[in-house]
Amino acid sequence: MRRLQARHYTFLGLAVVITVTMLLNIRLDTRVSPYTRALHDYIESLPPGSVLMVSFDHEASSLPEIRPIARSVLRHAFRKGHRLIGVSLLAEGTLIGYRLMQETAAEYGRQYGSDYVYLGFRPQYIAAILAMGESIRDTYPRDYLGRPYDQFELLRSVENYDDVAAVLSIADGSLTTHWMEYGQARYGVVVLGAVTAAMATTYDPYLASAQMHAMMAGLRGAAEYEKLIGIGGGGARGMLAQSSAHLYVILLIVLGNVAYFVRRREGRRD
Amino acid sequence: MDAGTIVAGLLTLAILSFLYRDNPVYKLAEYLLIGVSIGYILVITWNNTLMALLFEPLLSEGRLWLVAPLIMGLLMWGRFHRRTLALSRIPIGFMIGSGAGVAIPAMLYGRTLKQMSATVMPLTDSSGVPDLAAIVVIAGVLTTLAYFYFSREHRGAFGGVARVGTFFLMVFFGTTFGYTVMSRMSTFIGRMEFLLTDFLRLTH
Repeated sequence: MRRLQARHYTFLGLAVVITVTMLLNIRLDTRVSPYTRALHDYIESLPPGSVLMVSFDHEASSLPEIRPIARSVLRHAFRKGHRLIGVSLLAEGTLIGYRLMQETAAEYGRQYGSDYVYLGFRPQYIAAILAMGESIRDTYPRDYLGRPYDQFELLRSVENYDDVAAVLSIADGSLTTHWMEYGQARYGVVVLGAVTAAMATTYDPYLASAQMHAMMAGLRGAAEYEKLIGIGGGGARGMLAQSSAHLYVILLIVLGNVAYFVRRREGRRD
Repeated sequence: MDAGTIVAGLLTLAILSFLYRDNPVYKLAEYLLIGVSIGYILVITWNNTLMALLFEPLLSEGRLWLVAPLIMGLLMWGRFHRRTLALSRIPIGFMIGSGAGVAIPAMLYGRTLKQMSATVMPLTDSSGVPDLAAIVVIAGVLTTLAYFYFSREHRGAFGGVARVGTFFLMVFFGTTFGYTVMSRMSTFIGRMEFLLTDFLRLTH
């Protein structure tokens, strides 16, 4: 067995911090940011039965972060009685999106076909976004399971973005940008974002310019959203671990800097 | 516990074993991930793209105009031989031309004009009180642009303005890095939650 190095202790420390805090199972109270509240308020303000398009624009690797984000907003939408159309512009997100919608719909007893439909993946995301602006039926002649578009009660009244209250892009990359540049700019559809924390600074300017209506970001966003809807989930469960992990990283940065300056001073003495 | 949870738990541990050092168990999980991902994307592409958008409408519904994209797609295969290489430039040219035509106005509008208009806003509110956010935004934009202006040496007053721009850039980099750390931690926490709750059942 090799001797453990500094990085091993760093990883081990992080694993211990996260494991212990998760086993403690303490829920931290979260202050809701204006961005997350805006997203919640928009979905809350829609009359029941409104049609929302949910686009799963992420890869499988981001599922641990995407899952609590998506679940919180899907729960809210289903609880409010909105009707959802699921699409995916990244192949890897296709099945994940289907399962997330299916699981959440089952919690509220929503029926496939009348309360939600999953249309699946279309390649060339820019072409797909533009094509749906003209006709969602022509872009998706069949749903994810291969059944004809007009077979579903929900879809019969939906032709294009004019019949959709908003598009919610659940993303771990820059695909939400394309929804704004093509869906919002050209067809005027309201774009909402539910994104990983790493993408938050990318989308901040779009919120300031009102190209994106509202956004929630990361596990913290999920915890905030769960607080707003009053349903506990992965976001709230992970917040103590998240905060502890951040404190651990800050501690390491401080220790690293102290060690650097001490070593530099010793070097000068020598 | 179902088989899927056991497989997912073992593969998660196999991937995490890399934190100690590279090892055959990690390699197995890594190759499995690559293989499954490629296989999945191939199946999705075949079912949702080639079958749903090309072969079924062409062969079952008789939409003959789809022969055009089919030929364009086939021409892409010309890249694999020196003699037919030129043929592949036809669909590539079509894709670049149409792609640029669609993207340039959209990006110019969405990323430049709309962002510029969001930057140019009143520096005071309706009652004449200075709007700190608007002042910071305009100061950040102007000083950062000054930093990226390379036709004049960064000295004197201009150098000072450009230096302020670097502080705004540092704040941006720091914030982005912080968010990225937060994102990676969230991913790790998500997997740990799965291991502790579903796989090891140590917590609920």
